[in-house]
Amino acid sequence: MRRKARYLYIELKKTAGMFPRMLLLAVALMILVGGIAFCGVKAMEREPLAVGADIGVVVREDDRMTRMALDYVENMESAAQICRFRQVSEEEGMNMLADGELAALVLLPEGLVDGIMYGRNPSVDVVFPKNARLEAMLFRELTESGAGLLRVAQAQIYGADDTAARYGLGDELSAVEAGIDGYNLAFALDRLSIYDEETVSATGRLSVAQHYASSGIVLFLLLAGMAAYPVMQPEPAAFRKQLVRAGVGGPWQSLCKWLCGLCYMLLLAAAMLVLLWSVRLCTPEAAERLGELLVSGRRRISAGVCMGMLFLVLTTVTSFHHMIYSVSGSRTGSILFFFPISVAMLYLSGGFVPSALLPQTIRGVGAALPTSCLIRACGGLFTGYGPEAGRLAAQLGMYTAAFGAAAYAAERFRYRRCK
Amino acid sequence: MITAADVTSSYGRRRVLKGVSFTAARGECVGIVGANGCGKSTLLSILAGTLKPKSGTVAYGGRTAWSGGRTGRIRCDREVIRKMTGYVPQEDPLIPELTVYDNLRLWYPDKRVLRRELSQGFLQLMGIGAFAGTRADRLSGGMKKRVSIGIAMAEAPPILLLDEPSAALDLVCKADIRAYLQTYLERRGTVVITTHEESELALCSKIYVMKDGVLQQADNRLRGEELAKLF
Repeated sequence: MRRKARYLYIELKKTAGMFPRMLLLAVALMILVGGIAFCGVKAMEREPLAVGADIGVVVREDDRMTRMALDYVENMESAAQICRFRQVSEEEGMNMLADGELAALVLLPEGLVDGIMYGRNPSVDVVFPKNARLEAMLFRELTESGAGLLRVAQAQIYGADDTAARYGLGDELSAVEAGIDGYNLAFALDRLSIYDEETVSATGRLSVAQHYASSGIVLFLLLAGMAAYPVMQPEPAAFRKQLVRAGVGGPWQSLCKWLCGLCYMLLLAAAMLVLLWSVRLCTPEAAERLGELLVSGRRRISAGVCMGMLFLVLTTVTSFHHMIYSVSGSRTGSILFFFPISVAMLYLSGGFVPSALLPQTIRGVGAALPTSCLIRACGGLFTGYGPEAGRLAAQLGMYTAAFGAAAYAAERFRYRRCK
Repeated sequence: MITAADVTSSYGRRRVLKGVSFTAARGECVGIVGANGCGKSTLLSILAGTLKPKSGTVAYGGRTAWSGGRTGRIRCDREVIRKMTGYVPQEDPLIPELTVYDNLRLWYPDKRVLRRELSQGFLQLMGIGAFAGTRADRLSGGMKKRVSIGIAMAEAPPILLLDEPSAALDLVCKADIRAYLQTYLERRGTVVITTHEESELALCSKIYVMKDGVLQQADNRLRGEELAKLF
């Protein structure tokens, strides 16, 4: 037992001795990852995101009034934000709709404007594709709300006409209609009042800033394993043999490596918090802005839950590092493994492009990966956890155990082979 | 002191040791020679307790270390192996990021023993005290080998097992190691050494040749090509 304790002590001493070097490597890594993220953000800023729905319009009667009405709709602010109208023939439009090039096809009837002017109400057909995408769904919503508004306005006018005719108020009809028009126009211009306001985000409960901050933290923690090689790479076979001779078996060796890795991660997390604190002291305004961006929509949470979840995140990440080092068996091999595996897992889990925007299959695979869990756990540091905290903690614990078992199995396999 | 009887071992289907038997008395140095890959290191690993034999018996000072096999389960008494033997593998069992002192501290029972050894014991004799504060990755091959022997001597074992200790060392280091072994033998220690070095064979009172998984005793006056013809 004393030999085991001495081995743990020696390994911890090595970790403490190597920490400054590992921290420097990790900071260099953070600068690299941060640089890539900064470039990505800059690139995204150059191309603002917009929902661009291509809408086909079939004009059966190419007269001046219809064209004016079309121009009017095209230039309406609400339509222009989400729609691009393209005049097409009916056949061409149907083909484009089938190919997914159009979000909807609007078929304008003959005499549309005249019909509206004289109260004939010619119907406008809007064809949507079978598998409506986000753009088509938005356009359908816009169309239905517009149609609803028109129905109400018409009913009001007809009601006013009938009332005026029944009670002999024909002289006042024009004033009443003007009043109804004014009211409806005001209502129509204040378009938002007819919608139920619901914020929908591809990043779920997290804001975009929070989502990318969480993903960045997870990527950094995963890649920080590269810097941990002095303490986490497997011992040389000769050293392991001597340890086994001395009664320090494989499971204890593996556990000691994991503990040293965890110490490194805890020290690294502490160092990063100190760094953030220093930044806050140096540039309080920027820190405040960043804080506002990251902690919006925060639920009431206890610091204990946050610390506990952070600890679980660090244990899971440590186990992941341990597994990679144990499977690869060498420093170079581990470093070669770390980058592609971390980046691929993060991509599949929606760390680079939110999951909601990824294909269904990728989303399914990503949800089963530990990185999804880690992103949610890190996101909770900004927004709180709510009732899912227990489930999340259990998942992280499960991944920690699974990685640990895989690491031990890999070491055992290699040790048998090296004999 | 050492009795090995009918020890067999294999890697998969390849039988490496086909019933190896030998004995070594107290204060005796046994040399094992043979072609590369003939099973010398396998035999030493079994003697050191880091590799399980298929069958056979190994005993140190009358206490059984390995026994059983063939049809039954092979049994091992690690405590006997640990107390009775010190093992110097081909590769040095050092943690490169730590100092020589820290490396030794892992294996020595307590600080006082280690300090005494460094100031007036076997470690001082090997000159390890002079570079005890140096990181292991900054040591030369000869220094590392000395530390490896120092580690093997941590619990003052009566038997020392050395796997090609002079490989890739310069002449001075080889001479030093030979001198340490000579001192150890004079203190009635038993040495089993695998080697290709004639100067180390000169220390041996018995020479065994390993060929095709079988150990055969050779005339210990044979040297050079005459000896090489046997394997």
